[in-house]
Amino acid sequence: MEPLYVGVTGINASDNPAPGTGVARSLKELQGLEIKTVGLAYDAMEPGIYMDWIIDRSYLIPYPKADHSAIMERLLYIKAQYGLDVVIPTLDSELPFYIKYRDELTQHGIATFLPTDAQYRLRSKEHLPDVAAQSGISAPKQATVSSYEELNKAIANIGLPLMIKGALYKAYYAHTQGEAMAYFGKIVAEWGYPVIAQAAVKGEEMNVIGVGDGHGNAPGLVAMKKMSITALGKVWTGVTVLHPELLAAARQFVAATKWQGAFEMECMVDGDDIYLIEINPRFPAWVYFATGVGVNLPQMLVQRALGQTPNTTSDYPAGKLFIRYTGEEICDLERFQNMVTLGESA
Amino acid sequence: MSQSSTTPHPRLSRLAINEEGFVFDPQTGESFTINSSGSLIIKSLAQGRSDEQSVAAIVETYDIDPDDARRDVRDFIEQLRLYRLI
Repeated sequence: MEPLYVGVTGINASDNPAPGTGVARSLKELQGLEIKTVGLAYDAMEPGIYMDWIIDRSYLIPYPKADHSAIMERLLYIKAQYGLDVVIPTLDSELPFYIKYRDELTQHGIATFLPTDAQYRLRSKEHLPDVAAQSGISAPKQATVSSYEELNKAIANIGLPLMIKGALYKAYYAHTQGEAMAYFGKIVAEWGYPVIAQAAVKGEEMNVIGVGDGHGNAPGLVAMKKMSITALGKVWTGVTVLHPELLAAARQFVAATKWQGAFEMECMVDGDDIYLIEINPRFPAWVYFATGVGVNLPQMLVQRALGQTPNTTSDYPAGKLFIRYTGEEICDLERFQNMVTLGESA
Repeated sequence: MSQSSTTPHPRLSRLAINEEGFVFDPQTGESFTINSSGSLIIKSLAQGRSDEQSVAAIVETYDIDPDDARRDVRDFIEQLRLYRLI
């Protein structure tokens, strides 16, 4: 049987981990299908490049803001040189490119399984209250702001404390108006406008990860509660939960939006109240946790990308623990040299 | 103390409790530890026994004064309420 070449971005397994290595590890556990994982990196020091037990070959690719033809040319080069049947982008900033040019990619024999443009826009933080309502849960009060004046109005309306969030990245907890203004400035300087001011809600953070089949069904769902996070707010320890209302909300979200592709639903759960905090239109960095408890979501996504009907399962036990750890890989400098000089691993 | 609780508490019923007193709530992901008398009270309430029946179970198991047992059970139930388990 011919191997299937699957490209995965976001292989920067650092203290701010990207999802790519978790996706690649999941794909390497597929039974009955030989997968060659292709790491698509932006920097020669992304750790995934050197994790050769889960990533078979790596290539540097242009940043998402580059001209579309530069990215397309690079992907086609990789396809010709090594192989690229499916690509799984895992970073928010990449999705507009892959969504916009999915048909062109398909014509070149590179399959994807991504949200539609309308779905991608729907999940933006400005539309959170609508998505929450469609999912049968609540959303914290929020406002989209683009100036200090608007921010101050939002603070008066929402109250303190609140979360100050970038449209795509970063979130800060502000106790005072001064803190809120400082975080607003910080996000604008790094990521630009707009900024979201969102009421800080109490409760435990629980997240659901899944794949929507594009027809309103979710072939796989897994929910977990964050037990510990890093200083950057990234989950370090988690535990699987079977929270019926939370899982029902995820199913309702997929049914109402006919969601296509991977997603993560971030919620705060306070007793019987569930607040939708964010929808991520991609796998999160903890994606391997789902695979480890028997729900291989990257496999389902690849099957859908290839037009196959995925194996459906959301059958996992509550009380399975996920513990991230740090590690060191020792290798020859030559591997780094190849990435720097050739832009690919030899 | 309430005498009437004969309906099983759904939240207590779903708890997984091991022999060492480690308690895990599969719905919320919360975990905590309890001693053997706490375990006995939770299991009793989860089975729909009344507070007073739970006191009787404590008295019988640990051979202690009923008033002391009643006070301990009442305090423990307050803790369970605090954790929104009942």
